[in-house]
Amino acid sequence: MAVSDTLPINLKAAVENGVLDRLPLTFLPFANQQFRDWQFLFPNERRATEQLLLYVNSLSPEDSSALFAEVIALEDKMKVRSWKFSTSEQTIENASLLARSPYFQEWRRAVQAVFDAAERHANTTEGSPARANRLVLIEIPRPLDLAADSVWQRWGQLGRPRNLEIPPRLSGSVLESLVIGNPRLSNGLLGKVTRRARNQYADAWVIDAGHALIDSALAMQPAVPGAVQPVLLSYSRLDACRQNFSREMNTMRKDLADADAVYDRLRKVDLAPWCPAEVAADPAAREFVRNLYLSGNGAVIFSNSFVQWAASEAFRRARPRFLAARFGVRSKPKPFTAVAVFENPDQVNPLPAVDDLPGSAVDAQILALYIWLAAMRYEDYAHATVCVCVAESLSQVRVVAPSEFAIAPGQSTLSIDSLGRALDEWIS
Amino acid sequence: MLPWARALESVSAGAGSGHKVVLVVIGGVRRTDTFSREGLENIPHLAHDLLPQALYYDHARNEGVTAHFNAISSILTGNWQRVDDWGRLAPTTPTLFEQFRKGLGVDRSDAWMVASNKALTSLIGASSASGYGPEFGANVVFPKQLMLMAVADALRGGRTANMADRDRIEAEMESAMEGNNYEGLGWNVFDAADRLDPRVRDSIRDAVARFVHSGGPTSGDELTFFMVREIMRRFSPRLLVVAFSDVEAAHFGSYAMHLSGIRTADRLTFQIWNEIQANPDYSDKTTMVTLPEFGRDPDGSSTNGFFNHRANDDSTRDTWMMVLGSAVDRPNVIEKPMRHVDVCPTLAGLLGCRQLESQGTLLGDFRT
Repeated sequence: MAVSDTLPINLKAAVENGVLDRLPLTFLPFANQQFRDWQFLFPNERRATEQLLLYVNSLSPEDSSALFAEVIALEDKMKVRSWKFSTSEQTIENASLLARSPYFQEWRRAVQAVFDAAERHANTTEGSPARANRLVLIEIPRPLDLAADSVWQRWGQLGRPRNLEIPPRLSGSVLESLVIGNPRLSNGLLGKVTRRARNQYADAWVIDAGHALIDSALAMQPAVPGAVQPVLLSYSRLDACRQNFSREMNTMRKDLADADAVYDRLRKVDLAPWCPAEVAADPAAREFVRNLYLSGNGAVIFSNSFVQWAASEAFRRARPRFLAARFGVRSKPKPFTAVAVFENPDQVNPLPAVDDLPGSAVDAQILALYIWLAAMRYEDYAHATVCVCVAESLSQVRVVAPSEFAIAPGQSTLSIDSLGRALDEWIS
Repeated sequence: MLPWARALESVSAGAGSGHKVVLVVIGGVRRTDTFSREGLENIPHLAHDLLPQALYYDHARNEGVTAHFNAISSILTGNWQRVDDWGRLAPTTPTLFEQFRKGLGVDRSDAWMVASNKALTSLIGASSASGYGPEFGANVVFPKQLMLMAVADALRGGRTANMADRDRIEAEMESAMEGNNYEGLGWNVFDAADRLDPRVRDSIRDAVARFVHSGGPTSGDELTFFMVREIMRRFSPRLLVVAFSDVEAAHFGSYAMHLSGIRTADRLTFQIWNEIQANPDYSDKTTMVTLPEFGRDPDGSSTNGFFNHRANDDSTRDTWMMVLGSAVDRPNVIEKPMRHVDVCPTLAGLLGCRQLESQGTLLGDFRT
């Protein structure tokens, strides 16, 4: 495949040096797709791709063969060469073929071992990346009613609950106060994060099931001339994009070749006209939304699934230092047409939409935990990350933090100001 | 001669053991959401009404591909199937339906599969094995797909207003049934390639009418249940497989809807058991086996927890199985793990079929 002009020089040289010829067959869809999408990758993804390929390129042919020996042996056992396996990109058919092989789990472990070796090598030669404090803020807002005796049950030993004093006349939600700021906080956390000198693209994300949080974030723009803008994703503000996308997806017949054909078409369609300005203007965020919709997990269907899956994918792909996520309310399934859950229910059924507050609360509780568990899968978040989950209807927060986080220990009620100050200090 | 008349003529009523088998397969549910301290509230009927009279296997393992078509076809064949996930390929070894029909000379009217799951196709009803195949397969019915088709037709025809009116919904579903190619839907009822047998048509119509006007919940599994009950009452098949899938709302990330799907499956399974007890064609000669296809992924997994069922983890592979009725000598809890591929040979034994070579083994706790 033609090497993209946007690739860094050292990576381009490695490709011209034949690094792709050293890769096992099952690595090629990944490598080729990363090259093709280079301009849409987040800095962390570029770094990981470079780490792997430059490491392989640095090895002698013998060492390179040894690195991939287990993967190649498994590919032989799986008979990958006899499959209809795309090497140009990752397809549904590829995923299906791999997943139903009896050697799939072994193959996954062997692939991970290669990436781990590349990372170890990079840490040895370049030194471990500087550790920076990170912050994950999650909100289950009113009017989602939560039960005090069960809301944190699934969190187990992760963090401690604290009562939070919420002023009765608070304008906006607790999360909005912390992230955006209000008269009592001279500025919000988002402004401070984006003003940091070391801030880089995709370091800060705000994800909203509704639109209020993103509207406020947009209203506070621009922070500082030249400051790197945060990635702002609102399920509501993406309504038109989602509806156009789901219309295309619903044309998909239930066979793989067709699914891949439709996915191929959806990968090429220009999303910009369907997106709100903050996404349309950000090519990587736009492609992130496209991939989010294509990867399922309810992101096209339910706002809370969108929030959770977007946050999980942001951790996996971009490793942000600041992420704020706010859940919301979904509608009850409508009689009869609920089976067609992939359709737009308002388009299919004229009955009025009715909020499902209890159901949304159940969904948000587990999905809030999933956001934090998604972060914890990565070493970057293992030590220097604070997570605060706000249960607004209970006036409580769950705080998961290392011991050095400067928040008053004990049972006392926290004020939003004191919490905001501690978080501000943490990320400064 | 009508296919149905041919079918009646060829039935060999005395073949086999005279035993009837109803196999209920629920989609992916985790032990933590069902048979665990915190999960019992989601399965009141299974846990409190049925468990005391059941042979209960606490560990039923899916050691194959944890995707719908392969999971169900592994249960139905006694061999771990690794065919296409989307039902484009038939299982490669004979299904229980084929073993039953070919081995005992049983007519197609005695072997049915009624399924909600969208990932299945009519190829689930018979294998590609030499000497077997569709000639010995089951009647496969996908009621939910009929409903989906009705919704899609109404949408295409600009008649979405009909979706708010029960009489019009019934008409839309009947129209979908009449106006489309049954084979495309997965129907292969009897030998009627070009049109449905009138009795089957009436069964479907009655099931749809009861479902639409019941005033109760309107999920795909509810319609599947109405269809199952209608088939039991009209045809009394000796081998009936039911696949529920409301729990698969989990794929869209709604845990509340997933739990609701578990409660629905719990209630409908209980209702099927009650129908077996009340129907003289079934009572005292039927074994009902219930098991999930697999679990779901654990919280915190890289596969997004309960949403999916891809992790190589006990949360995904280790579930349970409940046996009720004639094959239960005495209620018991079996701790020793069994495998999904053990179901087919064991049920084949109950039906009086000759055992085929398979990866599964007979479960000795069943009374034959």
